Amino acid sequence: MIVDTSLFTRWVKLTPSILITLLLVPVVAGLLGVILPAFGWLPALGEDSVDFRGFKALFQTPGFVTMLTLSFSTSFISTFFAVILSILILGNYFDSKLLGHIQKLLGPILVIPHAAAAIAIGFLIAPSGLIMRLFSPWLSGAELPPDILLPNDPLGFSIILGLTLKELPFILLMAMAAMQQKEIKQTIEGQYKVALSLGYYPFTSFCKAVLPILYPFMRLPIFAILAYSSASIEIPLILGPNTPPTLAVAIMQWFNDVDLHLRIQASAGALVQVILTLCVLFTWWLLEQCVKRFCLSRLINGRRTYADMTWKFLTHCITLLVLFAIVLALIGLVLWSFAGYWSFPKAYPDQLVTLHWQSALQQLPEIINDTILVALAATGIALFLALFTLEAEQQRRTQLSSVASLMIYLPLLVPSIAFLFGIVWVKEIIGVNAVFSMVVVGHLLFVMPYVFLSLATSYRKLDLRYAKVAASLGCSPWSVFYSVKLPQLMPPILFSSALGLAISFSQYLPTLLLGGGRINTLTTEAVAIASGASRRISAVYVIIQLLLPAFGFILAWLIPKLFFRPRC
Amino acid sequence: MDPANNMLSIQNLCIYKNESLLFTLDTSLLAGEILTIMGPSGSGKSTLLSWLSGMLYPAFTAEGKLLLGGQDISQTPSHLRQIALLFQDPLLFNHLTVAGNIEFGMQASKSNSKKERISKALASVNLSGMEMRAPKSLSGGQQARVALLRVLLNEPRVILLDEPFSKLDSQLRQATRELVFEQIRQRGLTAILVTHDQSDADAAAGKVINLSNTRSA
Repeated sequence: MIVDTSLFTRWVKLTPSILITLLLVPVVAGLLGVILPAFGWLPALGEDSVDFRGFKALFQTPGFVTMLTLSFSTSFISTFFAVILSILILGNYFDSKLLGHIQKLLGPILVIPHAAAAIAIGFLIAPSGLIMRLFSPWLSGAELPPDILLPNDPLGFSIILGLTLKELPFILLMAMAAMQQKEIKQTIEGQYKVALSLGYYPFTSFCKAVLPILYPFMRLPIFAILAYSSASIEIPLILGPNTPPTLAVAIMQWFNDVDLHLRIQASAGALVQVILTLCVLFTWWLLEQCVKRFCLSRLINGRRTYADMTWKFLTHCITLLVLFAIVLALIGLVLWSFAGYWSFPKAYPDQLVTLHWQSALQQLPEIINDTILVALAATGIALFLALFTLEAEQQRRTQLSSVASLMIYLPLLVPSIAFLFGIVWVKEIIGVNAVFSMVVVGHLLFVMPYVFLSLATSYRKLDLRYAKVAASLGCSPWSVFYSVKLPQLMPPILFSSALGLAISFSQYLPTLLLGGGRINTLTTEAVAIASGASRRISAVYVIIQLLLPAFGFILAWLIPKLFFRPRC
Repeated sequence: MDPANNMLSIQNLCIYKNESLLFTLDTSLLAGEILTIMGPSGSGKSTLLSWLSGMLYPAFTAEGKLLLGGQDISQTPSHLRQIALLFQDPLLFNHLTVAGNIEFGMQASKSNSKKERISKALASVNLSGMEMRAPKSLSGGQQARVALLRVLLNEPRVILLDEPFSKLDSQLRQATRELVFEQIRQRGLTAILVTHDQSDADAAAGKVINLSNTRSA
């Protein structure tokens, strides 16, 4: 066998190891960085004995059990709702054009930053929010905003609503991506037809014939959102209760407290957070086993329908409701951003002003500049690593091992609150002061999985005969990569770039912790403003947060049309 | 069920693809009869089966009537037509056992009687004792026989066969073909077979329609 030893090929061979190292080292170092302080070892504060003070302080914290319960219940229930809604939508629109239309809507919804979504939902459900205004006074009878604690309700209903609405598009999109893989598509479409022809009603056909094949492909995304939601910050911070908040929010507050000794308690909390996330994942696994045991015999019990028409009607209602909520939230944002005086219960402001936009736009140039620079750097690195890793796969003619693939998704599976604080601690120990680079690395951990995931399918589907023809005509591996493969991949590369930028724009915790307050992005500012300042300024920030990723996607859509279309 | 109820009639069928006529068809089949549809690729053979099963792709439109036992089922949803499909691939459910796959096709009834029927059916196609096997562990021919049993024990009124023997080697093909046709005739079912292979048409020993001859100018 002839071995190519060009610089390009050597780099390509090295890239998968670099990529895994870049993802693995910060996560592992970060986890180590919370384990040691959790057991009291924090030499920077003169604490060099190993004990359980942190855990004792944590367990004695007022409302600690409520924090755990809130974190567990909101993440589990929201994921459960998101999965059930996804199954209803997929099952009832499986052979309908509507599913395609829904898929087109999902991309833009998915890239709405969590903070922006939380603020928009908060505006919607607040006692003086748009929903209440639309139904007052003619239906509710209220002339004043009712005295209800929404959002920030103590039971976490607002968090569940926020997380469900954010998780639903992700699960749907992941399931649809699996359904479109050629082999799976053929199998599920064929088996769906078999079930229909054997007399099963459409939704029952989906549940009995398609779902058992599809669900294994939904599992990893479901576990990722369970892990994410059990330790998420933005949504519980904006929509959740304060006394006490969820565990992740409390940990963040302790870490940022002026009393540095609280870091020991926070580190212990971060470890408990990891255990809590594992408990959530284990409980989901248990639920899966119960459902499997309960449903296996029902798959072959011969029943052809389980109230299919009712489920279909319910799905129509839920889909409309979700779309209505999204549209209403967007309208609410625009109205608030221009609202002058807006008395309750009027559904439209008494006066429209541009004051809030003017005020926000004065502060924005530097923030937008930092936001874009960090995003471009993180996305550029992620794109380079993903492309070279996928090229390495093709050169080796084998896909990444399942362990290596899992490593790519590791930052999504391990609670970020646990390892990011560890990274800060490690950074302080080794004396790294490069704030911008650290923020870029922090963003890269979360951008990388999405960029890789969105590029992998297209890259692996490339028709290699073109590359072989080019090689046979004397092109070097670099020329084949650059002149043959990249042009064919331009639309997915642009889409992945836009996705990477959007993911980076939405990062809150990595910017806050690794930037140490010296780098502010739109998201960190929006969260800061949402927790205190004017609802109107918040609305302006959220709209800009939505426009920025949208601009990236519009470019990704336009560039191939303008520059890469076939010419006569 | 009275076999006369399984009489199938296709009346003045015109199938259009993107508004241009693909083929026309007008024919009837008696219970137990096997109609063979032949024609080159793209002539509309599989499209005809999609229409018969009520699963026509959105790119196609159809005019005409489909009568089963004298009743117009053109607008009946696919799951209520009692028309079962047997594809080129057996499409067995890998999350179920062999017995589970066959049971999937059966109507709800007492579990014991189901098990007995499945055992008998498996024995009739030389697959005794394979109830608990995973479909993946079976050979191609065995999988084809399990797929056939899944359809037969569903007790449909019509069976549509979409090149079900094309992936089998010649020896297995002949044996499976004989088994399928014998079972169809024994049960007085009406069947439509789509194939490229003349020997399949000869073995079916019924009416043959070549779709390339039914296209209007």
